Amino acid sequence: MISRIVLTTGLLLVLIGLWGMLTHRNILRIIIGFSLMGTGTHIVIVAIGYVANGTAPIIDRALSVSEAISRAVDPVPSALAVTAIVIGMAVTAVMLAYAIRLYESKKTLSIDAFTESKW
Amino acid sequence: MVESLLHPLNIFIVGLAGGFLIPLFYRLGKSWTAAAFVLALAAMTVISGYGLFVLLNGTAPIEILTGGAKPPYAINLRMGLAESIFAFSVNLVALFGAAYVVRERYGTLLLYLLLVMGIQGMVMTRDLFNLFVFLEIVSIATYGLLGLRDTPASLSATFKFLMATVLASTFFLIGTLLLYAVTGILNIDELIAKRASITGPIGFAALIFLLACLLLELKPFPANGWGLDVYETARCDVAAMISGGVSAGVFFALLKLLPLFEDQLELIAGLGAMTFVFSNLIGLQQTNAQRLLGYSSIGQVGLLTIAVPLLYRLNADNAMFLVVGGLFINHLFAKVGLFWLAGYVGRERLQDWAVLARRPGAILTFGILIVAISGLPPFPGFWAKWQLVMSLAVGDLHVWIAIVLVGSLLEAAYMFRWFSLALNSPAEADGVPADLFPIFGMALLLVISGYIAGKLAGLAALWAYMPLAAGLVLHMLARLPSRMQCLIVLVLVTVGGSQLILELSGISLLFAMLLLAGGLVVSIACLARTDHRSGFYPLLAVMLLSLPALPRATTSLEFIFVWELITLSSYFLILRRTEAAAHALQYLLFSLAAAFFLLCAFAVLHTQTGSVSLSALRAAGPDSAPVFVLLAIGLLIKAGAIGVHVWLPGAYAEADDDVSALLSAVISKVSIYGLLVGTYVAIRSDVSLNLALVVGWIGMLTTLAGAMLAARQDDLKRMLAYSSMSQLGYIVAAIALMSHLGWVTALYLAANHLLVKGILFLVAAAIILRTGKRSIVELGGLAGVMPVTFTTAAIAIVAMSGLPPLAGFGGKWLLLSAMMEKGWYGPALMTLLATFVGFIYMARFIQAIFLGPRRATHDALTEAPIPLLTPQILLIAGIFLMSFFPKLLITPLSNAIDPQFASTLVWQGMSLEMIYGYWNPVPVMALAVIASTILFGLFWLLQQSGWWATIANVEIGGTRPSLYKGFRAVFTTLTPPWAGALWGGLTEATTTSAERIRILYTGNGQTYNLYILYYFLALYAAAGVRHLWVAVN
Repeated sequence: MISRIVLTTGLLLVLIGLWGMLTHRNILRIIIGFSLMGTGTHIVIVAIGYVANGTAPIIDRALSVSEAISRAVDPVPSALAVTAIVIGMAVTAVMLAYAIRLYESKKTLSIDAFTESKW
Repeated sequence: MVESLLHPLNIFIVGLAGGFLIPLFYRLGKSWTAAAFVLALAAMTVISGYGLFVLLNGTAPIEILTGGAKPPYAINLRMGLAESIFAFSVNLVALFGAAYVVRERYGTLLLYLLLVMGIQGMVMTRDLFNLFVFLEIVSIATYGLLGLRDTPASLSATFKFLMATVLASTFFLIGTLLLYAVTGILNIDELIAKRASITGPIGFAALIFLLACLLLELKPFPANGWGLDVYETARCDVAAMISGGVSAGVFFALLKLLPLFEDQLELIAGLGAMTFVFSNLIGLQQTNAQRLLGYSSIGQVGLLTIAVPLLYRLNADNAMFLVVGGLFINHLFAKVGLFWLAGYVGRERLQDWAVLARRPGAILTFGILIVAISGLPPFPGFWAKWQLVMSLAVGDLHVWIAIVLVGSLLEAAYMFRWFSLALNSPAEADGVPADLFPIFGMALLLVISGYIAGKLAGLAALWAYMPLAAGLVLHMLARLPSRMQCLIVLVLVTVGGSQLILELSGISLLFAMLLLAGGLVVSIACLARTDHRSGFYPLLAVMLLSLPALPRATTSLEFIFVWELITLSSYFLILRRTEAAAHALQYLLFSLAAAFFLLCAFAVLHTQTGSVSLSALRAAGPDSAPVFVLLAIGLLIKAGAIGVHVWLPGAYAEADDDVSALLSAVISKVSIYGLLVGTYVAIRSDVSLNLALVVGWIGMLTTLAGAMLAARQDDLKRMLAYSSMSQLGYIVAAIALMSHLGWVTALYLAANHLLVKGILFLVAAAIILRTGKRSIVELGGLAGVMPVTFTTAAIAIVAMSGLPPLAGFGGKWLLLSAMMEKGWYGPALMTLLATFVGFIYMARFIQAIFLGPRRATHDALTEAPIPLLTPQILLIAGIFLMSFFPKLLITPLSNAIDPQFASTLVWQGMSLEMIYGYWNPVPVMALAVIASTILFGLFWLLQQSGWWATIANVEIGGTRPSLYKGFRAVFTTLTPPWAGALWGGLTEATTTSAERIRILYTGNGQTYNLYILYYFLALYAAAGVRHLWVAVN
């Protein structure tokens, strides 16, 4: 149940991000759209790995090897989510850096102003 | 020790460690940074090169395990043969490219190193999530490098690129995770092994997400505006790395994951085809150099995307290696070289590339890169395309062949147009200090890899490279005086050519001798020019040696290879004159189209007989009609048959005068040889007779139309060009007769035309040299000042017209006999009609140029120079030999043809002796010579006595001008410019549609994001429909 809710939230965030990215003209808002999409994806990742009522995947006295398959949360998606977050942050940083340089070049942040090359 | 040092894992250690250490080295000093940077790149190159070497020697693929555990519990990477080829070639390019960045700030070096390492990670990793990480490393390094140029346009483009690639990699991440949710696997090998378990809506969605990312990263049409913008505005060396390196990584990922997409193979190929064709179509309208390269890059990757899924479907593993390797390496080296060259030139607009015109080294490199990128020999792309077409034909995928060839033709069109712009504008050279050596490096790598790919494709024969080797020798001797170079060409060609034809026999030997001797004799005329003709002699050597090499070809691969060498060398020779650029391009495109038809014919033949040997043509079964049709179309295009003759007059007329003579006299015979070889098929196929009759009619219509067009012409060289078209029509018709007598006739006519047209074009060269005029209306009365030229022209005209006693009479006689024998009364009638029209223009040629009143300005003219007269006199000797002793030629001709026809066709007419025997030419000729001598003596006396001037100024037959005008009006009505209108309309339609389609690229990044979303949805829908379809059935 919990994972369903989380999964749906994540997917909704992705869609909201996509919507924002496609409807807003301001570059900063577009970047926020991308960030939302990224965050949504990360939530989906975590939700995929979650096992209902599961515990931390640490095999010790509380969790035997045989139990681990049924009771432990899958650690792989979490590990992937961490990596994805790091990458996402780097990409957002690059995007913001370019936003600054774009603003410096034209003193505007409207995406419609940056259509030099075409055809 | 060495093993562990050269272990592929070290690529990543070097890449990452180098990346982190470079800032430290920077503290030590700038030269330290540069040294460490180059050392790291060199180390990666050596490691991947060693890997390639070991794997080529048959070692098993090198598995790289990480984290002390075996997959799937840890990430693993693999260095197999394909991986090592991709990694090594990308490293080589990166190492050469280091020359452009090595003086930059250390941040640039760091990003560059990370980029190169990331690409190899994408190539080598066997873990899906790891692939995502490497993809992101590559992307982020690219974003950084793109920021090196901070013009507003380039910043906007980078931001568009950023948004698009972030979207794509989000797709990849989602796909990877969904796939993990369905299967619990991230290891690629295991995923492929258990691909049957990827089911249900989530499994399906996972695969589509992955596929969408990979396709989008390859910049598919129409969702690729962001890619084009970056190619256009990025710094050239960065654009080069994106086009060559990054695409290589992404493409290899697609290659690696392809088994997962087994249900979507046709869809992937279709999307690749869309990209390939539309990119090259829109490229036609492009005027910005780097954006043009962008279209070409995207197109080339599209071609790879067509080839890979189809070959995978066909299980053609052997072909896959050559096709993918050849196309990839060709694209990598050539495109990177071109981008670097764009940086070297530093001009955005294509027209401004004329700054290259005065730099022979740069032009040569540019030419090599253009030829390579167009997929022409001797470069890897040619062999790969050859193999691709052969393999597709085996799988009966004919529509795909057509797509590949149409796209290639479009690409060749804009690439070669660009080349001619660089050659032909009279801009002054200015000093652009930039390193040219990496670009030379790419050209050299292309040559080497082309040779290797040629071996793989099955061209083992070293003799096929002899023309190119001769060209290279001449290129090195370019500093010698012009005449010296020409003499060296003649000697080299004589020696090399006789080597080539040594082992030949039969028809091949006859044709090789004809082409070799004809080429040599006509080329003597090149001695007349003493100016420095940059690049002329190497090309001449290539062309003259390719001619006798063609009959030497025993497989269809050798045939096409040599065929394309002739096409290319003659194209570059025509292109040497500024005025010829447009016509040269037309010549090239029609020639390439012709070659593509031949290629298709050979591919179908290969499918039917399983052999690439040309002798398979004779063994072909009764269902080989398509082979014959394809061959005939290709060869008729090349011969300039009616309807497709539009390339001919311009190319012949606008080339250098001595090149025109070679084109018309010698090179035109190449298609005749092809027809003779190709006609074997028709003999076997059951519809041969009808098809042959069609070809015969085409030949005769060409003859008649050519003669009428020639009669309308005032331009000296155009008149001769149309005359050439007309005469070739006779030869085509004679071949189409498909009888012993027809073939003897064809060869006889071919030899006669070679001799005659060689003389006439050299006469034209002499007249243009002395008078500077080409319009025959402005000439007249030249017989008095150029008597020797007049004599040779008169003899050639008589020999061509078919008047007794010279050889043309024998040819016409044979042709009519052969047609009557076959019952071809219609064509026979056409022959008579065309002969009559021929008389008109030939009479006009003599009358308007040599007789009648002479302009006062022409009174002081002198006779043509000796180098122009020598070949004419030699050719006249040939005409006399053929006329006096026809059996000298006809007996070996007859013998050469006999064995091939003996089993296939029963020729039950009269023997040749009987047909030709009762007209014994020797006494007739003797009489004619005596009469001519007397006439010549009289003429000489007249000239000496001073009466000549009075006679020459008399209008001959006062009514003739008006009579000619009447004929001219009739001919003009009878030859409406339909062909020109048709081809002009086609060109117009092509460029208009390109103009319409490219409006898609609005330049707005947000619109491009929307395109990406639509592309994804369309892919989803298309794959879904297919999925359901499979499920229902």
